[in-house]
Amino acid sequence: MSSAVLAILILALLLGATLLTPILARVGLRRFAHLPAILAFGASAVLALNILADVYANGPAGPTPGLSLDLASTYPFIDLNLKDQPTTWFQAGRLKVTFSLAIDPLSAILLATVTFVATWIALFSAGYMHGEDGYARYFTIMALFVLCMCLLVLADNFFLLLAGWEGVGLCSYLLVGYYYAKPSAAAAARKAFLVTRLGDVGFVLGIFLLWSAGGYHTDLSAIFEHLAKNPASHGTLTAACLLLFCGAVGKSAQLPLYVWLPDAMEGPTPVSALIHAATMVTAGVYLLARCSPIFVQVPYVQAYVCVTGGLTALLAAFIALTQTDLKRVLAYSTVSQLGFMFMALGTAGAITPSIAVAAAIFHLFTHAFFKALLFLGSGSVMHAMGGVIDMRKFAGLRKLLPVTHATFLVGCAALAGLPLLSGFWSKDQILDSLHHAGEHALHYRFVFIFVFGVALLTAGMTAFYTFRAYFLTFWGTERVPEEAGHHAHESPRVMLVPLVVLAIGALFAGLAVEQLTKHGFSKFLAKTPAIQQANRSYEAAHVVRAQSSPHFNWSVAGMGTAAAFLGLAGAFALFRKGELADLPAGMKPVHALSLNKVYVDEIYQGLVVKPVEFAATGSRQFDGVLDSLARLISYIPRLFAALLRPLQNGLVQFYALGMVLGLTVFALFVVFKVSR
Amino acid sequence: MTMNFLLGSLLLAVLFAPLGAAAIVLLAGRAGPAAARRTAILASATHVLLTVSLFVLYAGFVHHETMLSFQFQPKIVPGDPGTATNSDVFTYGTNWILMSLAPDGVSAPAVQFFVGLDGLNILLLGLTSLMFFFAVLVGWGTIHERPASFYAWLFALQSAVGGAFASFDIVLFYIFFELTLVPSYFLIGQWGTGGARRDAARKFVLYTLFGSLFTLVGIIGVVLTNPIPIHPTTNKPFYFEPTARGMASSSREMAENAYFNGKPGAVTFSIPILMKNVSMWDSMAHHSVQHAEQRLAKATPGQRAAAEKELAAARDSQSQRRSLQFWIFLALMAGFAVKIPIVPFHTWLPAAYGEAPLAVTMVFSAILAKLGTFGIVRIVIPLTPEMCVLYGLPWFGTLGAIGVIYAALCAYAQRDLKLLAAYSSVSHLGFLTIGLFALNREGISGSVLHMVNHGLTAGALFVLLAFLARRYRTLDANQYGGLWAKYPRYAFYSIVIALASVGLPGLCNFVSEMLMLAGLFDPRNIAIAGYGLAVVAAIGVLLASWYTFTMLRRVFFGPVHEPPAATDGVPPTGDVHPRELIPIAALAALCVGLGLFPQPLLDVISPEARRLAGIVDRARIRLDPNALPVYETETVFVPAPNAPRVDGGIRPVTANTAPPK
Repeated sequence: MSSAVLAILILALLLGATLLTPILARVGLRRFAHLPAILAFGASAVLALNILADVYANGPAGPTPGLSLDLASTYPFIDLNLKDQPTTWFQAGRLKVTFSLAIDPLSAILLATVTFVATWIALFSAGYMHGEDGYARYFTIMALFVLCMCLLVLADNFFLLLAGWEGVGLCSYLLVGYYYAKPSAAAAARKAFLVTRLGDVGFVLGIFLLWSAGGYHTDLSAIFEHLAKNPASHGTLTAACLLLFCGAVGKSAQLPLYVWLPDAMEGPTPVSALIHAATMVTAGVYLLARCSPIFVQVPYVQAYVCVTGGLTALLAAFIALTQTDLKRVLAYSTVSQLGFMFMALGTAGAITPSIAVAAAIFHLFTHAFFKALLFLGSGSVMHAMGGVIDMRKFAGLRKLLPVTHATFLVGCAALAGLPLLSGFWSKDQILDSLHHAGEHALHYRFVFIFVFGVALLTAGMTAFYTFRAYFLTFWGTERVPEEAGHHAHESPRVMLVPLVVLAIGALFAGLAVEQLTKHGFSKFLAKTPAIQQANRSYEAAHVVRAQSSPHFNWSVAGMGTAAAFLGLAGAFALFRKGELADLPAGMKPVHALSLNKVYVDEIYQGLVVKPVEFAATGSRQFDGVLDSLARLISYIPRLFAALLRPLQNGLVQFYALGMVLGLTVFALFVVFKVSR
Repeated sequence: MTMNFLLGSLLLAVLFAPLGAAAIVLLAGRAGPAAARRTAILASATHVLLTVSLFVLYAGFVHHETMLSFQFQPKIVPGDPGTATNSDVFTYGTNWILMSLAPDGVSAPAVQFFVGLDGLNILLLGLTSLMFFFAVLVGWGTIHERPASFYAWLFALQSAVGGAFASFDIVLFYIFFELTLVPSYFLIGQWGTGGARRDAARKFVLYTLFGSLFTLVGIIGVVLTNPIPIHPTTNKPFYFEPTARGMASSSREMAENAYFNGKPGAVTFSIPILMKNVSMWDSMAHHSVQHAEQRLAKATPGQRAAAEKELAAARDSQSQRRSLQFWIFLALMAGFAVKIPIVPFHTWLPAAYGEAPLAVTMVFSAILAKLGTFGIVRIVIPLTPEMCVLYGLPWFGTLGAIGVIYAALCAYAQRDLKLLAAYSSVSHLGFLTIGLFALNREGISGSVLHMVNHGLTAGALFVLLAFLARRYRTLDANQYGGLWAKYPRYAFYSIVIALASVGLPGLCNFVSEMLMLAGLFDPRNIAIAGYGLAVVAAIGVLLASWYTFTMLRRVFFGPVHEPPAATDGVPPTGDVHPRELIPIAALAALCVGLGLFPQPLLDVISPEARRLAGIVDRARIRLDPNALPVYETETVFVPAPNAPRVDGGIRPVTANTAPPK
């Protein structure tokens, strides 16, 4: 089977799972509701590996086969035909939207990552969500979530991509608001949906700008091809890239739209694992990677992307330093790690795009393992602690939760970027890209140098807050909250197996795919047509003087490792007792700033939400004014009537007088008119 | 008995069956309210079946229209002269005369009973049939007094709306357009739920009447200023309609040969013929200026003064025609702007929607609002194309944009769910107006599709509210909370409808909104109005999700919190009742279905969208000869086939049969 058919099969499987789960619940098989999702995810993962192998051997797939659907005059009034060209979703005038899929190294890698991680998360969920009220609802939305993410990753058409894009937004809304009776969950769900949708406004406008500049194509590959032949004006490209980035910022939780992600903790913990590791937040990174052919042409935007990533990483890491909610620490660390990916993406064009994009996607890949692992681990902790996740309330869980402890430690080490773990390799590639850009970029070199510094600092902070969370949870004397009862215990096996599998991934994935294969990951990814095209336009604009193949830079790796160990040492010094340490007085304001998330939520509330609500109330009041204005106009005829009504007073003499006066005026008029 | 005759009879049945149903329901009402209700449901369900069969038969024509003319080509016209010859050929005209302006009635201008189907109205007729069926179902349990007369008025309204959609005679259209006011007045005034219902009904009728009187003036203006053009020498009607591309590429000599300053002939009320006349008179004015310019360029010094004078005269007459057209455009728009309504002409709406019973509010937002937008595509764009290009986006597009934002803000601040839905409808219709005045294929297709989609989603919102109205005394959002726990199925459908209404991909509104946005990215529109409208429209979509999701959060999330039950002492009955499920589930299914497979509907709309865009392209060239048409594949436009007696005996002749010099 060709990989295009396999991809369609994956989508069909996931759709089937989405539809089957509620039916299972309806016919009284609610306790098996997890099966369709897990089986579909697992099968999809296997198929995705097949696609990966096929793409590796045969290169990107051709056009997607599809169906044609036409109205007909005879029974059954609809013509359905299989054909080689993709199915048309809708078309009018020059806007033609088709179900065309892009199956190339980039999408194949992401597809495999998404489905693989999602399988284990679903398995974990089967244990974690056991006995919950909306068990079937949970797995239905999970399946839809993964379906939308796969659609997003596979789409070659901007509107199909948008469909997946909005779809994951919807599913995150439904999953974050899973505990619908909880007001905080309801608020978080709405916030997640609206904030990402704010970014989508820009995304949609950017798509249309590219559509009109790119020869009215909607397929990404066709647009890029058209733009390569007929370059658009610099202004248009800049605007389009900024608008696309606007969408990415919303979805991938970057400054200034990152605020929804930490709140999204209100959903069940496996949902967080899904959102943070495999689906949803990586969408923005993927979008920029796929659109790299146009982004590399606008250095200004790329510098902006890089700085946004850097500042987001730093800010999120700063906030994560003091959070006491374990999941919140992990949430901010996701924001921060996504910032790293955007830093790498921003260097595309300053250095060879394939290297920059590979660094970002490689980090996305490794991050998926260790972040899923950490979230599931925190879920396991939460499971044992009776739903409590505040690190002040428990400590020293090493003995109580041995497997969770070991796997969590692996996750922390990988996130901190300790040598030889998967996070180390990918973070190193990002640092190397930044370092390289700082040395060789044609434009904005100082920006890249600055961001490199920020990245190093953030790497140190990452190690610090990660191990702070680890020590606070697992070290010190054993302390268990009341909610856990007296029988706090390790999670069931169905939850531990995913932890172990993901831990193995977090340990070796980076080493295996990149280092042991002599940068096989990067080289494979570089074969993606879009990235090839980005490379070509980079080579056309630059005298290629820098090294343009992936490599390992010892000095940068050394700096990164040093930063990580410094952070680890700091955390060990302060928190090895498993308790929050006292702060020196001078640090108090900084601590408060971090603890209160730099007051960003409050600032937005004051600067954006309140004014718009005020405008809404004002509009409503003004509507009354408009109404009375209309009423006033409607009184004008009545006013006339009131003026004229006294004339009709029923006095014959008055009428006679009127007649005489009128006649006189008329006579005078005639006389004077004629006589002149 | 020809196919043509059968189809025509079916259309007449679809249009006037509701009147018969009204009579039957009134009769059945004597046996009690339950009998009236049953009859009404049966009648409207039958009507849906009739309409579906019409739909299926119409589907056969969709892909056969490869050759388009610049005038509407209504199919399935009762009284089609083609029927008389047993030839089963559409002549796109009718013989049926309602009122002749001269005693002999043969060759004189006449108001005709000219109804038919084309891509613009078939979908709206289907929507009408469906939504009135649902309105009858919504009426069950929310209308308690004299249900028989309520349903009778509802059916009368259905007939009037259907007639307006199907009309191809401009006077007939206006008559049906105004006739909708009578049933509406009684439906709001007598069955309204609020205390100020009579006031609201009066306000609604007076306000819309005030607007539509201007429309009447505009219609008279259009008819009088666009008589059939008569060739100065042959004394026969003549038309010459090259495509925009043809206009741009053909040499000026050719144009000189083709255009003469025609004499005004008889007036006509047929919209298709008026379209040709408008285009012809506009072109003649345009070309007489061009000729004069050419002559001035070639003139010897001696002829110069005369040539300059001629040019001045030609320009003068063109600008006179344009200024007249401008006022006609404004007058026509007045009635439609009130009907849609476009902010700031919407102030009748909160009162009328707030006071009317839910079934009527639903019909108003789903169907009657479409009368306004339909009037724009059927009357305003084809009959004043130049003014639409000049003032459509800058004026009404801007008003639409203001409306999108303003109504969305008003909706957010509303606590009454019914008014929230009402303002959300206004906001969406603002977007629709912008899309219409994009005046290209994407914009017009998208807008016409959005008329259907908005009808479904806005109607569905009111159907959902009927669920609450049956159970509780109030629709004040503040008194609700956590309904998800109590009514999970209701919550599910509500979320689906809400998502469709905010334009989530895979649901119906997404497709039409994307098409309308695409229309705004036409470089020619960008030149006129910039990117501002597109940005506002996109922000409007965001605001829509803002107020919709805030409402969802308030009503469905959080702890359970209910207002007092509708009937004292009796706690509200359970989740969605099967009777309630029919409209809710059908609408939700349509939202998903049309979101995933919108193309059949777009194929139906496509000929009309191409036709209207072609007309506007011609107008654009007249306004600016450098405005090249943008479509790579030009539609094949041909003169309409000979249409015997369509306009009361005057046979249109095309200029392709070269007029003698």
